[in-house]
Amino acid sequence: MSAPKEFEVVGKRLNRLDGEGKVTGAAVYASDFTLPGMLHGKILRSPHAHARIVRIDTSAARKMPGVRAVVTGASQKLNRFGNFIKDFEVFANERVYHVGQPVAGIAADSEYAAEQALRAIEVEYAELPAVFDVMEALDKAAPLVHPDWQSLKAAPIIVREGNRCSRTVIKVGDVEEGFRNSYRVYEHVFRTSPVHAGYTEPRVAVAQWTASDQATVWCNTQLLFDTQSTLAEIFGIPPSHIRVIVPGIGGGFGGKLRLGMEHYAMALARAAKRPVRVMSSSEEELTAALFRQPATIELKTGVDRDGRILAKEGRIVVDAGACSGSGPLVASTGTMILAGPYRLPNANLEGISVYTNNHPNGSIRAPSGPMPNFATESQMDMIAEDLGLDPLELRLRNILREGDIAVNGQKMTAVGLEECLDKAATAIGWDLRKPGPNRGKGLACGWWMTSRGSSGSYLKLMQDGTLTMMVGVVEMGTGALTGAAQVVAEEMGMKLTDINVVSADSLTTPYDFGSQGSRTMFAVANASREAARDLLEKMRTRAAKALGTDEQALVMRDKAFWSDEKKITFAEIAAQANTAGGGLIAEATYIAPAVEHDASRVQNHFSPAWPSPSFHVHATDLSVDEVLGEVTINRYVVAQDVGYAINPTYLEGQLEGGAVQGVGQALSEEIIIANGHVKNGNLTDYKMPTAMDVPKIEVILVTHPSVAGPYGAKGVGEPPTIQPPAAVANAVAAACGKRIMHLPITAEKILLG
Amino acid sequence: MSELKQHDVSLTVNGKAETISVAPRASLADALRDTLGLTGTHIGCEHGVCGACTVLLDGKPVRSCLLFAVQAEGAVITTIEGIGDAQSPHPLQRAFNECHGLHCGFCTPGMIVTLSAFLKEHPQPTSDDVREAISGNLCMCTGYQNIVRSALRAAELIEGAKS
Repeated sequence: MSAPKEFEVVGKRLNRLDGEGKVTGAAVYASDFTLPGMLHGKILRSPHAHARIVRIDTSAARKMPGVRAVVTGASQKLNRFGNFIKDFEVFANERVYHVGQPVAGIAADSEYAAEQALRAIEVEYAELPAVFDVMEALDKAAPLVHPDWQSLKAAPIIVREGNRCSRTVIKVGDVEEGFRNSYRVYEHVFRTSPVHAGYTEPRVAVAQWTASDQATVWCNTQLLFDTQSTLAEIFGIPPSHIRVIVPGIGGGFGGKLRLGMEHYAMALARAAKRPVRVMSSSEEELTAALFRQPATIELKTGVDRDGRILAKEGRIVVDAGACSGSGPLVASTGTMILAGPYRLPNANLEGISVYTNNHPNGSIRAPSGPMPNFATESQMDMIAEDLGLDPLELRLRNILREGDIAVNGQKMTAVGLEECLDKAATAIGWDLRKPGPNRGKGLACGWWMTSRGSSGSYLKLMQDGTLTMMVGVVEMGTGALTGAAQVVAEEMGMKLTDINVVSADSLTTPYDFGSQGSRTMFAVANASREAARDLLEKMRTRAAKALGTDEQALVMRDKAFWSDEKKITFAEIAAQANTAGGGLIAEATYIAPAVEHDASRVQNHFSPAWPSPSFHVHATDLSVDEVLGEVTINRYVVAQDVGYAINPTYLEGQLEGGAVQGVGQALSEEIIIANGHVKNGNLTDYKMPTAMDVPKIEVILVTHPSVAGPYGAKGVGEPPTIQPPAAVANAVAAACGKRIMHLPITAEKILLG
Repeated sequence: MSELKQHDVSLTVNGKAETISVAPRASLADALRDTLGLTGTHIGCEHGVCGACTVLLDGKPVRSCLLFAVQAEGAVITTIEGIGDAQSPHPLQRAFNECHGLHCGFCTPGMIVTLSAFLKEHPQPTSDDVREAISGNLCMCTGYQNIVRSALRAAELIEGAKS
C-alpha cells in the first residue's frame, strides 16, 4: 500500500461546522420548533395486544376544554403504509393488534388539555387470542396477526405465508455433504432481546396544511424523502405537495428512519385546521417506539480437525412485531451476518421475519448486525474451546482474505480483517487471556456494508468567494456533513470554514437516500466532490477569459486563479458571473456502483452484494464479580478497517460511541415485554450505559482503501455496534466459564445460568 | 381552559431579574423554554434520568424537568445560554467544540452545565472524577469518550487562564 498523500483539509481533525451552536445552546432542534397558533397533539393507544374495536365514543372528549380536534380511524380516510408490506394503519380501524397501537388522536390548546381529553374517549374492545412468541407464531394453529395478510400489498421481493412475513435464503454447495465430511458438528440456539435506539431527543413533528392538498412537516426524521413519500401515500396526495424539513435532530441511530409522529401531526392538523405539534413522551419512547428486533438464531456448523469450517446451516428468526416494518430487511441482511466474514464451502442460511402481537420494530444502527454476530462469534469461541484451539487462531484459519469469494459469490477486495485481528489481539494482550481469577479476554470479528442509495449535491459560488453546499440529508451528529464539506474544501482549494452547508429540506435540497446505512458521508462527499470539480471547471473557464490566458496556464492558489502576476479571486469570479454571466452553480449525483455477486446463491435477498464492505474486530478484557455476577469492563479495543479517515476525530467518535452502544445491548439494555406489555417503560428500569459503566475505548484505524469511497473511505457508522455482545460474551466465558446464550448478559444470568 | 390560575414567579436567570407568569403545574424546564425562550435547555426523558435539562439553581446542577417553576421563586438560575456565548465561550464550550465532545449535541448543554459546577469544585479532576460527575447525564452518541476528554481539556484551559 502506498503512503497516503498529504492533503490540506481532508484527513485533518477539524472542528464541526455546526459545533458552536451546539455548545452555546443556540442550535435549533425539531423539538424547539413552534408555529403561531400551534396546537398540541396526544395519542390514545391500545391497552390490548389483540382486540376487536366494538365502539369508540369521542363525544365527551370533543367537549373538553381546549380540545380542537379528535381523530379516529373512522373519521379520516388514511391509507395503509409500510416499507415492504402495507400493514400499518395510522389509527386502528376494526382491530388493534398490539399494545400501544394508536386508536385516536386529540389536538388541544396545550399538551395538558390534550392528555386530559384522551381520558374522556370511551373505547369498547372485545379481546381476541394473541401470539407473542415467534416460534409459536410460526405454528399453523397460531392465531393470525393479520388474517387478511394475503390482501395486504407487498413488495415483489417478499414471500410470505400466514404469520411469516418474509423469507430470504443463501445456499452454497451441499451442506449435508459438508456435515458428513466434518470432524465435529456443533448446534446451538441463541436469543437476543429488543433494545431502544437510545436517542435523547424524543420523536417530534409539527405539521401545517398550507392548502387542502399541501402540507409542511418539521420533524426529526433521518430520512426526508422516505418520510415525504410515505406521508404522500397515507394522505393520497402527490409527494411534492409535502415539504419535510428537519431543523435539527437529537440522535437517531436508526430509530428515526421510519415515521415517528409526522402522520399523527398531519392528520390532527388537517382536522383542526391549525398547525399541530406531536411529541412522543419518554414513556411512549420506551413502550411504543421502533425497537431493535429480538431474534432467535439457530446455528449448525461443521468443521474439520483443524477447525476449518466445512458447512454452516443457520436460521435467524426475527420478531417483526405486529407490523412487518423493517423485519424483512433485518432478517434478509441477517443471513450475511450468519455467514460472517468467513470462507464457507457449503452453506444454507435462512432469514425469516415473523408477525407477533408484540410492538412493531425498526432498523436500529446495523439493523441485522448484533443478533446473528452474537450467535456466530459466540459459537466460534465454543468451537475453538472444544477443539482446544486459540479462538484467534480458529478465526485466522477461516477468515476472508483479499480475492476470496464470500458466501454470496462476491469477490472480496480491500480486506483489512486479518490486520484488524492482529492489531486488536496485540492491543488487548491476547497472549495472556486469563490475567487473573474471574478475569478474561474475548474478541469478535465482523463485516458490514456501505449501503447504496443516491445522493445529490448542489454547489454555488457565493459573492464573497465562499461556497454553499446544498444536500438533502440530515446531519445526525456524526459529523458526516462537515466531513463532506472537508472533501469539497479540499477539491476547491478552500478552507473548511469557506463551505456553508444547507441541508434537509425536501423542497429545496436534492434527493438523498438519507442518513442511514453507514453511507451518508460516503455518498454525499462523492456527489459533492463531483460537483466541485464541475464548478471549478466553470470557474477556470471564466478566469482564463478574464485574465486573457489559456486555462492550462492558470494556477489555483489562495482562492484565486493566477496567470503569472495577474490574478482573479473566487469572489471576483462570483461577482462577475452574478452580474454578467448568470451565476455559478454546479450539481452532481452519486450512487455507489453495483457489486457483482452470484445470483444463483441467493433467494429474495434485499442486499445480496455488499458495496465497499468494512471489516472490524472488537476485543475486551473484563472481570466478573464472583459473588454479584457483575461485569466490569477493564479494557475495550476496537480495530476497524475504515478505508481512509476523512476526519479521524469524527471517525473515532463513531467507533467509540458505537462500541458503547453495543456494550449496552451486551450487558444491560432490554425492553422487557410480557404478553405484549412493556414492563420497564422508563429510563430507571431500562438501563443505558452511563459514563461510569464504560471504560476508555481504544480505537485502532486500519486503512485498506475502498475503490469507490471518497479518498478511499468506507462506511463506518453502524459497524461498531455489531461486535460488542459477542466480544463481551466470549470474555465472560473466558473469565468465569459461563457461556451466556441470551442477551443481555445480566448478573442474574451469569450467577443462575 | 382547564388550567388553574397562573402564578407569578420572580427569579434571576442568567444574571437578569425576571418575573414570569406560569401555570402551577409548569416545570422549570418548560418555563425556561416556553416562557423565557431559552431553548438551549433540552427536554429528553422528562423524568430526571437523562440530564439533558440540567441547569444551575443557586450554583448547583438540578434537573429542570423535575422542578416546578414555582419552586424556583427567588432562585438564581443559570442555563447554557448563561454559561457563555460565541463571543466569550466558557472553556468547557471551547473544549467540547475542539474535542468533538458533541455529536448530535442534544445532551451537550446538560453536560456542560453539569461540568461547569463540577470543575469549580474539582479544578484538577481525573477522568474517573469526570465520569462520576456526568454519570447522571446520558449520551448514546459519544460513548462519553470525547466528553471526558473535553472536560479534562477545559480544566487545562481554566488552569492555563489563571497563570
